Amino acid sequence: MSNARSWTRRRWLTASVAAGASLGCGSSATGRGRSRASLWFTYGGRNREILEKLVARFNASQAEHHIDAVYQGDYYEGLAKLRTAIFAKAAPTFSHVVGEVIPYLARAGVLQRLDAYPGHADFDIVPELGQEKSWIGGADQPLVALPFNRSTPIAYFNGDLLAREGVSPPSTWDELRTLAKKLTRTAAPIRFGFGCPISWWFWVALVGQAGGQVVEADGRLSLGGPAGVEALRFWQTLVREDGTMRPPPGRDYNAWEQTNQDFLAGRTAMIWTSTAFLKYLEENAPFRVLAAPLPAQRRRAVPTGGTHWVILKNAPEAEKSSAWAFLRFMHEDEQAIFWATSTGYMPVTRRAIRRLEREGYYAKHPNDRVAVDQLSVAQPWPWSTELFRIDREIVQPRLEAAVLSGKNAAALMDEARLEATRRE
Amino acid sequence: MRPRHPRDPFWMMLPTGALLAVFFFYPLVFAAYTSLFRWDLLTEPEFVGLSNYRVLLASGELGHAFLTTLSFSLVVVLGSMSLGLGLALALNRPGKFPAFVRGAIFSAYVVSWVSVALLWLWVLDPSAGVATNAVRALGGPSIDWLGDPDIALYTLALVTIWKIAGYSMVLFTAGLQDVPRSLIEAAALDGASSLQRFRNVTWPLLRPTTAFVATTSLILSFQVFDVVRVMTQGGPVRSTTVFVYAIYEQVFMNLRVGRASAEVVVFFVLLLGLTLLQLATWRGKPKARA
Amino acid sequence: MNQGRRWGLDLVLLATALCWILPYVWMTLTSFKTLPEIVRDPSAPLPENLDFSAYRAVALTMPLARYFFNTTIMALCIALLQIVVALPAGFALAKLDFRGRALAFGLVVATLLIPAQVRFVPVFSTLAELGLINTMTALVLPFGVSAFGTFLIRQALQSLPDSIIEAARMDGAKEWYIVYRLLPPILKPTLVSFFLFSFVYHWNDYFWPLVMTTDDQVRTLPLGIALLREQGTGVRWHIVMAGNVLLSLPALAVFAVAQKHLIRAVARG
Repeated sequence: MSNARSWTRRRWLTASVAAGASLGCGSSATGRGRSRASLWFTYGGRNREILEKLVARFNASQAEHHIDAVYQGDYYEGLAKLRTAIFAKAAPTFSHVVGEVIPYLARAGVLQRLDAYPGHADFDIVPELGQEKSWIGGADQPLVALPFNRSTPIAYFNGDLLAREGVSPPSTWDELRTLAKKLTRTAAPIRFGFGCPISWWFWVALVGQAGGQVVEADGRLSLGGPAGVEALRFWQTLVREDGTMRPPPGRDYNAWEQTNQDFLAGRTAMIWTSTAFLKYLEENAPFRVLAAPLPAQRRRAVPTGGTHWVILKNAPEAEKSSAWAFLRFMHEDEQAIFWATSTGYMPVTRRAIRRLEREGYYAKHPNDRVAVDQLSVAQPWPWSTELFRIDREIVQPRLEAAVLSGKNAAALMDEARLEATRRE
Repeated sequence: MRPRHPRDPFWMMLPTGALLAVFFFYPLVFAAYTSLFRWDLLTEPEFVGLSNYRVLLASGELGHAFLTTLSFSLVVVLGSMSLGLGLALALNRPGKFPAFVRGAIFSAYVVSWVSVALLWLWVLDPSAGVATNAVRALGGPSIDWLGDPDIALYTLALVTIWKIAGYSMVLFTAGLQDVPRSLIEAAALDGASSLQRFRNVTWPLLRPTTAFVATTSLILSFQVFDVVRVMTQGGPVRSTTVFVYAIYEQVFMNLRVGRASAEVVVFFVLLLGLTLLQLATWRGKPKARA
Repeated sequence: MNQGRRWGLDLVLLATALCWILPYVWMTLTSFKTLPEIVRDPSAPLPENLDFSAYRAVALTMPLARYFFNTTIMALCIALLQIVVALPAGFALAKLDFRGRALAFGLVVATLLIPAQVRFVPVFSTLAELGLINTMTALVLPFGVSAFGTFLIRQALQSLPDSIIEAARMDGAKEWYIVYRLLPPILKPTLVSFFLFSFVYHWNDYFWPLVMTTDDQVRTLPLGIALLREQGTGVRWHIVMAGNVLLSLPALAVFAVAQKHLIRAVARG
């Protein structure tokens, strides 16, 4: 390494030039000359492939716009990146986020109003899936969200097993408990009767079924009150007393994944998970998959889930227009149907649903109908800026603790409620 | 040597000094300042005084993070040091075979933490992993390495030891080279057993090396992040939420920058304290018998 | 120790070495399997055929070449910058008498106690205000100073006789010439070891690129491979392992070729 200084200097210069070049090199050959928009998405696996197909279809179908889709991890990882990117002025044009966080983002003033764009009223969105009915008072807020992959939790069963045992899906909590006991086998090969990710979403479903709601009409953060405790106790009973439910390991989506795997491998006879996994489970199960609505306790109730499209306000106008063009494309019948029937998420427009009915799709695929029918008992979320924080910081950590270690449910929920109402 | 020109040292230290000021010392000050606010990056910061510290203490989060990190660190430091020392002693001879074994062990230190984490995630997988199936085949119970809140932290500690044992081993090997053979041979001639030789000759002379390995291993183990993020994301039930991961979560998941800054300040103070304590312990021990 | 004990010890040592080698072998074997194979019989050692579909899948899911490029450039720039900055500092700390020298050295070493995770929030918000997030600058500049490198250079220079420098001065050489032209060839073993060590270390870095990048532009390989651990629809282990093979290869390759230098860098530290 003689002439060290000039050598290192030279290398440093060439390296910086190369680095600078790599910074500019963002565009692929096909995108030149078009108006570009960047989309951050948070699907992995199969659903990711479907989305990428749709993006490619859009890019190929016209010459004006080009969408760059970037994978950012799972919902929560992606959301974390999105928020910090907004702060760092390195945000994408648009993305999709879970419903619980939209009021917060709207209040922070980072979302673009979608009613500024032409054609937004023609989409014929299913009201329960769109902003209108997804939130209490959603119609009164400026339009900032359009439904993308919308889901409800449903119950999946090993259809062959049910037929052999001569039983049908449970319609109440007690029936579920009985069925779980019947289907649990403690001798090898071990099988659990019931499986469900210990997660906020399913807890909210249970709270609704027990007759409560997480946020009261007057805005009070009650966390379901006694219904919240009842929901938690139900899981504790199944796991610790009956031994019919195995709590899946891991946090967030690891737990969801483990639930799916247990179901496919025959280690669990029935599971609750999102309708989003319908196609995945149907295709990979060595048995007939039967889907059914969730049972009732005092009433039937399910939350809606999945994500909504949002456009970031501070993106350049041209980019936002391209994003809008893509959103229009996604709400056309073909795309809405393709997305729904390839994944298991619900079609977001009424036109699409009617078309599927006409074509006899639901007659051939009754499982797909379950989530759509459940919309009649779907509970809207409160338009609360605190909802996301309550989910991530207050409720979710306690759910795991309660089920995995058997702590007293009522005490935990009291603690949680106290923390939620303390604005710190 | 005297500098050529009196200002030379200044210019020579300037790049270092400027970069350190901007990227090391200023952040500490800024963190202390930010810890007095409530800030979520997207809206204006709000002054809350010592509220962040109070909440962290009252909710037990600080205590929990500290205990978790400390238990983890203790296992890692003791484990990797003993393993490293043992290996260094056993391999302290010339030849291709010892060099091969040393190389194999040190190779884990060279690859990225992500690589190690993904590797062990696969080996320890509860359904398809080699470790689980091997234990099951031998008739053992089904261990949920990463899903059992009681053992997940120790699983991570074992993976960490696996990765950094090579580091202690290399350092101890170098330290052993510095122990004069003549002293050991003299002790052997005096009739000392190998254990006595080790205890009275080698171990005292290894002291500076041991101090260095202990201190750097402690610092290293306090900074683990990648392994937690890739393997357990702080779970199950927060049993693997070490300090650094807690800070990361506060910023990126909860968007509580003020609270994260408070944790940063506490973390730094604790690490500083522990390091000084370590150094004092190793310096302060009475000299060994010659 | 007699031969019998020696063979016994060697066997134990071999078993130990295998504990470190086998996992990687297993990982590589897994990368050549297909998913049905893995699900069917996870413990089967050898793949049925040498199936490269996992590698193809990795290449399709992410811009591999770009990640490799980004990571290599970043690591290269960091290691070079660190040497450029540490040479004068190490020289001043080793050879020049000046007031506050001990303090300066103490401060440099003290930075080892301020890990990236403590620094990142303020650095992130400062760089964000400057619009530098998601650029190569954000990845490189914060690592411009290496306490380790400064320490190594200082240590190496301390054992260098002053006469060499005095002779160069008398020959009319400027201080900058001494630092950047005269000393590097003399310090070559130290610089090479340090360069390799720093290069590999930063090539492998996960945390800093994780918080400082937001999309594929300057994303590095460890991040990309970690993202393979996709959620929701079942981990596809053969793909994750294929990605992991690709991630581990460069570090292991450097290690295989330059083992001595890396060990020397660590041992001298």
